[in-house]
Amino acid sequence: MTALLRYQAAILLRSHRWIFPLIAYGLLITVGAAGSTSLAETLDWSGAMLVPVVAFLTRAMLTAEPDAARACVAAAAGPARAQLATLIVPLGGGAALGAAAIVFDVLTAEAASKAPGSGLAGKVTAAAGHPGIVAAGLLIALVCLLVGSAAGALCNPPLLRHRAAAMLSTLAAIVVALAAGVSPASAAISHTTAKAADPLAANWPGTGPLAGAACLLAVAWGVSVLAATRRDTWSVSSE
Amino acid sequence: MRLEAVGKRYGVRQPWVVRGVSADLRAGQLVRVAGRNGSGKSTLLRVVAGVSRPSAGKVTGRPHAGYVPERFPGGLPFSGREYLLHLARVHGLRGPLARQRAEEWLERLGAAGYADQPLGSMSKGMCQKMAIAQALLPAPGLLVLDEAWTGLDQAARGALDDAVTERVAAGGTVLFVDHDPARLAGREDERWSFDGAGGVTVLAGPAPSAPAPPGAQRRETVTIRLETADSARVIGQVRAIDGARVLSVDVDGPVANRHVVDRPVVDRPVVDKPVVDGNPGA
Repeated sequence: MTALLRYQAAILLRSHRWIFPLIAYGLLITVGAAGSTSLAETLDWSGAMLVPVVAFLTRAMLTAEPDAARACVAAAAGPARAQLATLIVPLGGGAALGAAAIVFDVLTAEAASKAPGSGLAGKVTAAAGHPGIVAAGLLIALVCLLVGSAAGALCNPPLLRHRAAAMLSTLAAIVVALAAGVSPASAAISHTTAKAADPLAANWPGTGPLAGAACLLAVAWGVSVLAATRRDTWSVSSE
Repeated sequence: MRLEAVGKRYGVRQPWVVRGVSADLRAGQLVRVAGRNGSGKSTLLRVVAGVSRPSAGKVTGRPHAGYVPERFPGGLPFSGREYLLHLARVHGLRGPLARQRAEEWLERLGAAGYADQPLGSMSKGMCQKMAIAQALLPAPGLLVLDEAWTGLDQAARGALDDAVTERVAAGGTVLFVDHDPARLAGREDERWSFDGAGGVTVLAGPAPSAPAPPGAQRRETVTIRLETADSARVIGQVRAIDGARVLSVDVDGPVANRHVVDRPVVDRPVVDKPVVDGNPGA
């Protein structure tokens, strides 16, 4: 599995398909940090923006390897494991982005304390004084990471091979994930409005959304892996 | 390795591409898969190689597989050498062995000098060599070649022929599709013939009337008289000469080793009439 992960990660890195999601996420969290009034709100935003970024990062990975190259790898390591590696790599990339965003938020957001110290050190100290806020931000990011990966897996090859249909349904899935009440991501971030009055309160999403996101991810990955092993259509071209 | 009533179709409402294929694949077996374009050869090869699961039936006991696809487009952001190193690790080779095998196959296929080019800028033939090399890296117990010879230069085609012979000799199973009927002609243990309607007939042995290899139309008949204490051994050696066929042997003296008309041998050219005593009959 390590060899498969290295291979897929190398494809993602060397194909430069990570650049667009990285830039998009950088812009989104910068805008979010500028528009937020508290650390908790900033963390909420950067977590929520992981949904589109991870969904498109997953799409980038799922369309990076030509079918013929995948066939060689599938013969060598099994089609299920090959597909699993293809899904794990963008999830890991999204996790790295999410972690970087939390560090960025802590360093740049409005201080978590009413009496902030000066400079970056003061902000870090203030955040350390309210570990609940950071922990809640981590949990929200985790939920959104899983939901984004599930959306990417469900709306892209091998389940949806038509390019336009895949792009549009990925977008639609992102909107649903962030707006619909049933979505775990939406449930995790909707606490923002309730708690915005108190900037020092952690927006604790609870474990329900996390369990929901984990189930969603398991189903989405399961369907994607199954489709990869039964592969209905083959072409020699890559997208 | 065994295929039990294997079928494959592209979707529940679609027609079967292949259906009801049952076969035992033994160690050291060479199988030619034959059929028209679109008859389902590639689909069955992918199922056999484990690239995709059958829609019906099952495949059991598959050894570690190497698969060479029909066409290998250079869509990956690697050089040939990097690609082979990645694939060697995916095949389970570790450490220096991965590099060693990659270099060995690059050398054998005549691609060592081009292996640092990006896959995307390689010629079709060079890309095909990378696909072949990755399949041969792990010395797989099952080698599946889907028109792997297409686009290769003469030397590489010969190297691939040799590689197939080696795999079979080492107890590997090799399945291949090639539209050149002379490809490995006479060496097949089985032929799987597609009828174009999803059915596959498994036939034992090489094709009964394998057409002559290119160049075989020009032949010379040579009569050599020689003296030896062991005619059987000498005749055996002559038979082993590549490109030569013993038409007839006439031994003076004891008749223990007398062969009047030789049996057909591998790579035989088209012969119009039997020749006796070295005199051309036609």
